[in-house]
Amino acid sequence: MTARARWRKAGWVLFFLAPSAVPLVLFTAVPMVSSVWVSLHQWNLISPMKWVGLDNYRTLLTDPGTRTVFLHTLMYCAGYLPLVFAGGLGLALVLNRKLAGRSFFRAAYFLPVVTSWVVVALVWKWLLNPTNGLVNTLLGAVGLPQPGWWTDPNWALPAVILSSAWKDLGFVMVIMLAGLQAIPQDVLEAAWADGANGWQRFWRITLPLLSPSTFFVIVISLINGFQVFDQVYVMTGGGPSGSSQVVVGQIYDLTFRYGRAGEASALSWILFAVILLITAVQIRGQRRWVHYA
Amino acid sequence: MGPRRRQVRALSLLRYAAVLAGAVVMLFPFLWTVITSITPEGSLAGGPTLVVENPTLAAYRTLLDTLPMWRIVVNSLWVAIASTLLQLITGSMAAYGFARLPFRGKNVVFALYLATLMVPMQVLVVPLFIEMKALNLQDTYMALLAPSIASAFGVFLLRQAVESVPKELDEAATLDGAGHLRIFVTIIVPLIRPALATVAVFAFMGSWNSFLWPLVVIRSPEFMTLPLGLATLQGQFTTEWDVVMAGSVFSILPIAVVYLLAQRHIIAGVAHTGIK
Amino acid sequence: MRITARRSVAPVIAAGLALALGACAQGSATQSADAPSSGGKTTVRYMNFSANGGHEKDLDAIKAAFEKANPDVTVQIETTPYDDYFTKLQTAVAGGTAGDAYELNYENFVTYASNGSLAELKGVDGSKYKPSLLKAFSADGKQYGLPESFSNVVLFYNKDLFKAAGVAEPSASWTWKDEQAAAAKLTNKSKKVWGDYQPISFFEFYKALGQSGGEFLSADKKSATFNSDAGRAAAEFLVSKAGKTMPTEADGAGTPDFDSKLFKSGKLAMWHTGIWMFSGMADAKFDWDVAVEPGNTTKASAMFTNGAVVSAQSKNQAAAQKWVTFLTSSDEMVSKRLETSWELPPVADETKLASYLGAGKPANRQAVFDSLDATVLPPVIERQQEMQDAVTKELSSAAAGRKSVAAALADAEKAVNALLK
Repeated sequence: MTARARWRKAGWVLFFLAPSAVPLVLFTAVPMVSSVWVSLHQWNLISPMKWVGLDNYRTLLTDPGTRTVFLHTLMYCAGYLPLVFAGGLGLALVLNRKLAGRSFFRAAYFLPVVTSWVVVALVWKWLLNPTNGLVNTLLGAVGLPQPGWWTDPNWALPAVILSSAWKDLGFVMVIMLAGLQAIPQDVLEAAWADGANGWQRFWRITLPLLSPSTFFVIVISLINGFQVFDQVYVMTGGGPSGSSQVVVGQIYDLTFRYGRAGEASALSWILFAVILLITAVQIRGQRRWVHYA
Repeated sequence: MGPRRRQVRALSLLRYAAVLAGAVVMLFPFLWTVITSITPEGSLAGGPTLVVENPTLAAYRTLLDTLPMWRIVVNSLWVAIASTLLQLITGSMAAYGFARLPFRGKNVVFALYLATLMVPMQVLVVPLFIEMKALNLQDTYMALLAPSIASAFGVFLLRQAVESVPKELDEAATLDGAGHLRIFVTIIVPLIRPALATVAVFAFMGSWNSFLWPLVVIRSPEFMTLPLGLATLQGQFTTEWDVVMAGSVFSILPIAVVYLLAQRHIIAGVAHTGIK
Repeated sequence: MRITARRSVAPVIAAGLALALGACAQGSATQSADAPSSGGKTTVRYMNFSANGGHEKDLDAIKAAFEKANPDVTVQIETTPYDDYFTKLQTAVAGGTAGDAYELNYENFVTYASNGSLAELKGVDGSKYKPSLLKAFSADGKQYGLPESFSNVVLFYNKDLFKAAGVAEPSASWTWKDEQAAAAKLTNKSKKVWGDYQPISFFEFYKALGQSGGEFLSADKKSATFNSDAGRAAAEFLVSKAGKTMPTEADGAGTPDFDSKLFKSGKLAMWHTGIWMFSGMADAKFDWDVAVEPGNTTKASAMFTNGAVVSAQSKNQAAAQKWVTFLTSSDEMVSKRLETSWELPPVADETKLASYLGAGKPANRQAVFDSLDATVLPPVIERQQEMQDAVTKELSSAAAGRKSVAAALADAEKAVNALLK
């Protein structure tokens, strides 16, 4: 390749990437870098910063509270991801067929995604009310145990998981629907002609061809799941007794309520390391199962 | 009708019933929002009621009286539309770059993009605010817009879509003498319409619902966005839920409209592109 | 003035920006403040939360009166709801864009005062203010803020429910025992009527502690002293109500608005809450009144107060102090607050408050002033919010039966002591 061709190539890369790279660097990367600086200080936002070196990291890594909030966050992801993924994929498959009122259903299932957490949390707290909620009434009617849900430290997190998965079903559905549109109809028809039944077509054709969307949903859901906050904040406030406190809930409290912004920044960089690791593993692993055209 | 046919029929009926029941569950919170908003002195404390005695639009009137709704909605729309368009442009271009241009360190650059999604806004908001002040942008439309000009989320989603477009199409176009720009505009963009529509929905929603950043960066009432306005309805000691819920209806409807508009493109998708 | 360099994020941002833009550092990030004065007029920015939710116009009226009296000063009001106010204020202080003057509640005042964020107010005419309130906004013998308003907590009661149950109405001489006995008689679970409501939280606890003659912190504020007989009595009093005469979380308690709707719908006989609820209950469809809160071994009523401060960052401190002084002591403010039941003005001269007594429901407004004979302010430390959260968390555990009261208090004591180090 001549030098000129190389420059031309670089020019194209720059042309296509700069419009997104410049704002991301300016308005996300610069604050990110300065938060590293903040994490090396003791700072309550309202008085001058005090240099403490790596103390914040040391404190956090030895504090059992840190392990607890990470554990809760991990449990949240472990419960949320399978639910929302299986549910969203199932919905997308059903609503991709010809079905009376299909557009209506697609909109109905998307509505919770756009409804504010404040409302959704109130609805779910009512549905999951331990004494007279609909869910426990039904459970009682069939003789199953009735958990205390958000009033019980053992059940608060499952209550948050359940309502989050419910709310985000539509999110996964929309992405999967878009992915399904990209599957060429003739491939499916060819399989049909070869006598493949529904299951075979799903496992051998739909699922592999959907893998770029699946990959996207899993990576993004985990990135977002590790930063779960809103629903916890409005549903349980991290309680009862801190039993549903998650990492970003802790970060919010530390920054804006407890005047410990330095620790909050350090905590967010520990969280960053965890998310980065998990994402990197997925990106490495994608070669084995994600099929691009 | 053979037993197998009958079985299939029963199964599809069952499936329909399940989808319908699910939809009711999904619509329920929204219905509750609407109902509370038209209930006199509506309350959320007592659980939902489905029958409203003396329904009234008083809450909507209160809402329009206490907040400059017109101004607020225009602000929110302006910012949401601008950030949606910008994210579509910046995102699809980056997606093309990542999916089609070979360059060294591509994976690292892409990982850096994704990394911007991994630090929570709660931590970035203070440094970003100080940066806005350094740029003398605090309390402007530009400041509202800044963090949502580009999003790695959109880049990622669109990259996946571009990767799914068969490379033979570009190769054919290259043979016809088309350059990158032409391939991008005439081949890729039309083919990733479902993904673009999806990104549009989430970009619009992200901006429309954004709260923490506008809260700290805006101080003049003339830049107030909808979530900030709605927050002022919740008092320190009391909340008029009917008015709050009327506000929620206001905030949900535009996104629902955007979704319905986008849905057509999400579905239309490949059917008309004629690739075989 | 201290010469030591203020460490801040700004230089890093500037460096980052410079790198990002590929530009050479174009000077420091400390930039000229927005030009505050134009044509000899000074603009004072005032950030507040208490006007939100119905009193925006009243604050505007006070501002208009001030501007009329001080034609050279313009006040620019920025109102933010309480729940978001401190997030916004802290970010603004961090960025150096806080208002010239702003509002602080008493609980947060100490944190701001001890961090050098506030300008000392000189030449204050202290005779205009209730002395205890004025003192609340001073630190180390310096006046850093002026009391702006106060309010207290009384016992609201539903007269109709008392009559129906044949229970004598609360009086100023009531003690906890009377309250507990009445609550038991008034609770009628089949009719979904509850006898009593009082949140199980830090705020109720410090007050109940005071009503039992206990102290929350030692005199030197270096250790927690609430894990005492008085503290156990206070916690026991609160916790024993839950589920028996008072709705629990599972019944909906804690949901915003739960208690006010319950009272207003006639399903709650007694309610411990602030006088800020008067206007909201004015149109209740039953007869209600208020009484001084019952005590245990002694009387103690919770008092809350908000103050106005001048920012140390402000370039217009003199004008800002003028505004703050007007806002906290002018006759216009007094009449506006009384007229609109916007808490109570912090004035020393109680004859100015006379009109309050006849301002409508409830009839026994005298109880509001009687409560002032024995008030307790919340205990305040620098790490206030953490302390409040820790105490509320332990008490809730006890109320839910996950811990004994004794264990909860011991754990709360440990947590608070750790915060005092």
